[in-house]
Amino acid sequence: MILAADTRHQFSDLFSLYEWVTIVTAAIVFAVVLAAAVRYRRRAGREPSRRTEATAVELVYALILSIVIAVLVWATFTTEHRVDAVAAGARQRVDITAFKWGWRFDYREADVSVVGDDNRPPTLHVPVGEPVLFVQRSEDVVHSFWIPAMRFKRDAWPDDTTRFELSFGRPGVFAGRCAEFCGLHHADMSFTVVAESSDRFERWLAAQ
Amino acid sequence: VTTVALERTRPSGLVGWLASTDHKRIGLLQIGSALGFFVASGIVALLMRSELAEPGMQIVSRQSYNELFTIHGSGMIYLTVTPLALAAGIYLVPLQVGAAEIAWPRLTLLGLWLFVAGGIAMYLGFAVDHGAAKAGWFATYPLSSAANTSGKGEDMWICGVFLAVLGNFIQGCAILATIVRKRAPGMTMARVPPFTWTMLTTVLLAITSFPVLLGTMAALEWSRRFGGVFDDHYGPVAYQLLFWFYGHPVVYVMFFPFVGMVAEAVSAFSGRKFFGYKGFTLSMLLFAALSMSVWAHHMFATGRIDNEYFSLTSTMLIVPAGLEYFAVIGTMVGGAIVFSTAMLFSIGFLLLFLIGGLTGIIVASPPLDYHLTDSYFYVAHFHYALFAGSLFGFFAGVYYWFPKVTGALLRESLGKVQFLLMFVGANVTFFPMLILGYEGMPRRVATYPPRFTDLNLIATIGGFVIALGVAVFLVNIVWSLRRRIPAGKDPFRGPGLEWWTTSPPPRLNFDSLPPIRSYAPLYELTEEEAAHR
Repeated sequence: MILAADTRHQFSDLFSLYEWVTIVTAAIVFAVVLAAAVRYRRRAGREPSRRTEATAVELVYALILSIVIAVLVWATFTTEHRVDAVAAGARQRVDITAFKWGWRFDYREADVSVVGDDNRPPTLHVPVGEPVLFVQRSEDVVHSFWIPAMRFKRDAWPDDTTRFELSFGRPGVFAGRCAEFCGLHHADMSFTVVAESSDRFERWLAAQ
Repeated sequence: VTTVALERTRPSGLVGWLASTDHKRIGLLQIGSALGFFVASGIVALLMRSELAEPGMQIVSRQSYNELFTIHGSGMIYLTVTPLALAAGIYLVPLQVGAAEIAWPRLTLLGLWLFVAGGIAMYLGFAVDHGAAKAGWFATYPLSSAANTSGKGEDMWICGVFLAVLGNFIQGCAILATIVRKRAPGMTMARVPPFTWTMLTTVLLAITSFPVLLGTMAALEWSRRFGGVFDDHYGPVAYQLLFWFYGHPVVYVMFFPFVGMVAEAVSAFSGRKFFGYKGFTLSMLLFAALSMSVWAHHMFATGRIDNEYFSLTSTMLIVPAGLEYFAVIGTMVGGAIVFSTAMLFSIGFLLLFLIGGLTGIIVASPPLDYHLTDSYFYVAHFHYALFAGSLFGFFAGVYYWFPKVTGALLRESLGKVQFLLMFVGANVTFFPMLILGYEGMPRRVATYPPRFTDLNLIATIGGFVIALGVAVFLVNIVWSLRRRIPAGKDPFRGPGLEWWTTSPPPRLNFDSLPPIRSYAPLYELTEEEAAHR
């Protein structure tokens, strides 16, 4: 099941394109450099070429590079539109407050708040199968909310709120952490994500 | 053309070096100072890698670790690679354009003093209360405010960055003036050698972007003392935009000159004129122009800039980078290649910088960068570019020009050992980091979850292999200077004017100059001689 803003899938699709381009390019360049080094090593009777320009070849080559750029940029823009989309209808909203060195997750409608710091990292509960809207702010310095399994991070600012949407496609427990260096205990500023079915999530919320 | 060298009495000894206005002495002093900072910042890196060999805290405290990565990054960027890039220009540009001196020699010397003073100020931070700077090499605000990062060490860092960047800015002006005003008769801009062309684009970037950092550092210090500059709405974003407006162009300041070194070395050791000169010079100009418009690609995950514009400009860098590879590889094709140490480092540069460049294309895509930025993937990316790229280019340049600078050859056998250690070491250190970052390890952490242990241990071992390579390099320098093998004027049959004069060159560089009819005047000369015979 692929949902809007299912960042993990969006990332995988785009990354495999880039990975492919990267590996093919690296293979070509490595092969050409090493072949040139072997083929044109100094030997008896080898006279170096006097040719200094190959404009036609260079132009064709530049054109190929431009086509590669066009493809990559098109794929990037298309994916980014999906990843950055914030739909109006998200049912669940979580307000994130980052601080030195912990997180607070507020479920305002249910009047539930979860707090934890570097000694006792908090747990973020989210429902699967539907977009969750996050509204994020920092209390002090710039932090960054990163869930590696979702292939997504977004900075938390002290001077403004940032909003983003994530769709958790499958239930599970994931690691989350601060990615922007924020001082002494940055390395320990983590949290746990529990993605669970709507029913279980609702029960958890009601039990708080 | 004949230059008449006027001999004046010059102070000898230490004063003769420290107060010399000879661009060659200034250049050498700057290379020596930068290599000193390179070794110091490298030792700092080994401390970090030792701490990261296993999870948990073993060797240093959390605070010390934060100081170490701040000083490692700052030491390498502000005090090693940027000053090395400009020092190479200070030494080589006047020789390559056939000038007797650099323009504004006293200002160039002032630049050296400012840079060294800045470096000392930054490192002295370790000696004061609360330790050295610990807000990272780009000191994001408000992390770098007085409230969040207290202690004089941070102020000394700001002072150090300001002085070093001011010094390099002044030197950039002097190099530009030399290229514009001091070219020998006959050397039109279309005959300026490849290295000097890369230097020209380098100093254009330095002159346009460095002043922005000077202003930003002044404003940051003001904010620390009196508050206010970056505290309002958008203040923290403004700081990052200003910083990266310097911080991205400087990446190319730390790259272009080393491409130029590789271009010259590959030309000499392929035994032919540099191929694709026109495309290469145009690509350098395109590179410079584009690199002034990519700065906020460091900020894709901020959610506060126009990602698409910066993604587009960043991805477009493929064209100039591709043209550069075309020219250098095109020079190898059809050549008669000698596998000297300089050539090996040039080939190493082509292969490993490519990994830095290709991973750079990946992080130029915002949806991919959302995951990879500020992770170890990113650390691997810029170490492939800066260490395995730029510094490999630098070593190619050292092995190529050392005989010109000292009159003695470096030992090729030791050079090849150094290359092997560094090539293996770079990959063992940095390749695991690509995987670590992808798997979710953030940068700038003193400890990590146990599942990252194996790859971190491998990276640590690689770090020590690199250190061994650096040690071999230093031994090679000392040994080759002690037991000299005379190099003669032109041991490698180089293309540029610098190979026309004696090794080392006299105070005013040239007693005479050959006719200059191309960007490889010495090759033209050989061809003419061959034609006359």
